[in-house]
Amino acid sequence: MKVKFILNGKPVELDVDPRETLIDTLRLRLKVKSVKRGCERGECGSCTVLINGNPVVSCILLTIQINGAEITTVEGLVGDILLEKLAKNFIDNGAIQCGFCTPGILLTAYAGIKQGKIKKSEDVKEYVNNLCRCTGYVKIIEAIAKTANEVWGHER
Amino acid sequence: MEDPVKILEKWISAESYIVVGKDISRVDALDKIFGRAMFTEDYFVDYMIGNALFIKQVLSTYPHAKIKGIDYKKALEVPGVVRVITAHDIPGENQVGYAIPDQPLLAEGKIRYPGEVIALIAAVDFEKAFKASEEVLVHYEPLPYVLDPLEAMRRNDILVHDERGSNIAFTTRVRKGNIEEGFSKAHVIVENEYRLHHQEHAYLETEAALAIPESEGRVTVIGTIQYPHLGQRIVSRVLGVPASRVKIVAPYIGGGFGGKDDEGPLVCAKAALVAYLTGKPAFLIYSREDSIRIHPKREAAIIRYKSGADVNGKLTAIDVTIIHDTGAYANRAPFILWRATMHASGSYEVPHAKVDGYAVYTNKVYQGSFRGFGNLSIQFAAERQMDLLAERLGLDPVEFRLRNILKEGSYTITNQLLDHSVGVAETLKKVAENADWWKKREEYKKFNEASQRFKRGIGVAIGWHGISTSRAVPDWSNAYVKVELDGSVVVYTGIVEMGQGSPVSSHAQIVAEALGVPLEFIRVVQGSTEAPDSGATHASRGTGIGGIGVLVAATKIRERLTQLASRILNVDPGEIEFRDGRVYWRRNPEMGLSWRELVREAYARGIELSATGYFFLPKGKFDDTIGQGFAYPAYSYIVLIAEVEVDTWTGDIRVLRVYPGLAAGKIINPKQVEGQIEGAVVQAIGYTLMEKLYFDDKGNIVNTNFTDYVIPTAKDIPEIYKPVFVEDKYRYGAFGAKGVGEMAMIPGPASIVNAVAFALGVNITFTPLTPWSVLELIGVLKGRCST
Repeated sequence: MKVKFILNGKPVELDVDPRETLIDTLRLRLKVKSVKRGCERGECGSCTVLINGNPVVSCILLTIQINGAEITTVEGLVGDILLEKLAKNFIDNGAIQCGFCTPGILLTAYAGIKQGKIKKSEDVKEYVNNLCRCTGYVKIIEAIAKTANEVWGHER
Repeated sequence: MEDPVKILEKWISAESYIVVGKDISRVDALDKIFGRAMFTEDYFVDYMIGNALFIKQVLSTYPHAKIKGIDYKKALEVPGVVRVITAHDIPGENQVGYAIPDQPLLAEGKIRYPGEVIALIAAVDFEKAFKASEEVLVHYEPLPYVLDPLEAMRRNDILVHDERGSNIAFTTRVRKGNIEEGFSKAHVIVENEYRLHHQEHAYLETEAALAIPESEGRVTVIGTIQYPHLGQRIVSRVLGVPASRVKIVAPYIGGGFGGKDDEGPLVCAKAALVAYLTGKPAFLIYSREDSIRIHPKREAAIIRYKSGADVNGKLTAIDVTIIHDTGAYANRAPFILWRATMHASGSYEVPHAKVDGYAVYTNKVYQGSFRGFGNLSIQFAAERQMDLLAERLGLDPVEFRLRNILKEGSYTITNQLLDHSVGVAETLKKVAENADWWKKREEYKKFNEASQRFKRGIGVAIGWHGISTSRAVPDWSNAYVKVELDGSVVVYTGIVEMGQGSPVSSHAQIVAEALGVPLEFIRVVQGSTEAPDSGATHASRGTGIGGIGVLVAATKIRERLTQLASRILNVDPGEIEFRDGRVYWRRNPEMGLSWRELVREAYARGIELSATGYFFLPKGKFDDTIGQGFAYPAYSYIVLIAEVEVDTWTGDIRVLRVYPGLAAGKIINPKQVEGQIEGAVVQAIGYTLMEKLYFDDKGNIVNTNFTDYVIPTAKDIPEIYKPVFVEDKYRYGAFGAKGVGEMAMIPGPASIVNAVAFALGVNITFTPLTPWSVLELIGVLKGRCST
């Protein structure tokens, strides 16, 4: 089936098997490597992408379902001011270990902050439900909360 | 100066450091943020699609059965299927047992657990391989099976390994002093049976390997592996080719925690086998379900623990029996059991000790390495006992621990003298002060008297963990460092980066310290068999031990350049400084030259600027028959104090706060160490409160996904305070460092359960404390749900 979408600002047109998942299209056809395969059941969030600005897991989504949509991954946010802020705080705060969950968590946090759903520390725990097995989340939550504070100007 | 011991001494006794001990940001962070850091599947994505074969594994559906035949004619008829491989096709040896030669790569003759790999299907795409896997007919003759280790110990009519004549795979023992005498001196004696459960690693990246056949019969495997050189040995054995023909590369790894130490060589061997037999690149990636079904788990343990203490609050004796549910194959069971056995006392002086360990085969998934390595379960028992003895003696748990704690000059239960680097007492005191321990004990007692629904508790537990391999098992550090003509530095090591910040960051930090060059000048080539055998990235040894070779090699180069600089500047070599990319005279920093200039001079004058660094850890003698002697070169220690709140209406437990303290020698990168402690504390919360593998009556794991096997999310975490560091430097560690990675996992469950027991006023001898089991404990529910 023919499908058209925008990937990181560039139009894409593909002929895909109707059973093909978005993660496979992105990784295997389009070589978007930041989208990580963790569970393939929509549980872990490692394959998160932004669809029209909202975080969605790409492993349980069929590619034909996103016809006409705008897809964003971290590759498309190089140079973006909000992502750069998040990146800086993740690095300075030591919020990265193995890095497998990192792109997915960054995208979730990016959308949450941009949409005003994450403004303070407690919001992070409510909004970011991606799994991470290395960090214990402490430094991730701090880094996201710090970024939200820089954007929204709330204390703590 | 080329003697590694002298080099280590020099760096440990340095007055100050340039980058060691500082919060250095990870050098791989930016690449991980933007998806540029390459994990195993990313190599496949890059250049293999349409060229490589996909592999699907055929798994056993029985716990125990003879294989009468494998009929895969129909599988071969599926279009796109290239080959089906069984044990018969293996050109070399089908033997991959780690400690005992009891384990085939592909099942041969019989299968011993549900999930055992019987055949490999190679097809042009995953879908066809998957379809073909359903067309493989395995003719089984089901055998009676045994799932319970206690039953397995008793029975000889059902044998997991017929040729061994017993289901007891391995035994260990410690005999120190005379426990009858010890118990006769005891004023109080406490005896319990503890039950600890399996744990799934749940690394977010499942196991994967890409094998590429090359000329001259060589094969390169890129895979999720914690010890590339072990993978090289196993692949070479399975293929029947010399190790020199096998190259293993560990790229970035999406979490390991020990699991990829065991499964890494096997996933590499399976991919290599397909590539070798078909002549095509072959890619194998485990689905989450396959990963949970196939790979080894943290040991499930039954521990009978009797301990006594005298009127002065001194431990007099322990009598301990440890039974590990080893599962179908021994794998590392002897090493895991030895570690549990030798650490059975907890971090305390015990004059009389008897410990017996049994690793017992059952028809379940087998046990393997997982952060803590046999030590979590035994410290759980030891630390529960300490609380119970303290209660019986009417002593505060911290005070009772301090009366017995190991210090310099203490002897362990293996009768090893601890001659230095024992900072645990100071750590305990500081953490207790930090947590306001004594005040909170009183506060929560009062709170619990007044509160009906919610109960609060505070608990302490200590973990000690021998670094390096145990007993006289050889351990070494090995690395290769070279300086390029432009002054940049390349480090080659077999240590792998799986999230811990070593070697990519920590080894670069070590070189930056040794040569005074900026971190940007340094590149670490990690996880490669092209480097000298650096040992495994396990046992918390990546930086403290793995880094020694790097430090030694870099220092050799520094010494050569010092001599050269002293000649050029005409000053005493002892007064040459290396810092900020410059080499200069300490008394007048103006007098000097840039690092790059000096390197060019060295190249021009024929001075060798590459070096290997090797160090063989000095060890002592150990008598396996009585478990006496030199157990480990040194021990790391950690103290955790946990605060909890229990909802007695729902059985829900929340960990509110955790106060950590660490005595692991020199802390090379405090921020990374905090990350290791936080990560391990949260894994321990998962283990203690929510994670459990459920087996059906045929030994199948029922919960093979993250909906049913629940690991902590951001909502489950407590406030984790900044750790206290007591830098009890170890003389044979890089800059005096010991190990960190595993530490907080070890006393994690005990600290939480001690807090819960205090909150509820009940004895607790098991994990996990699910809401159901908590309600059973406090008598709200009775016999409704077994734990």
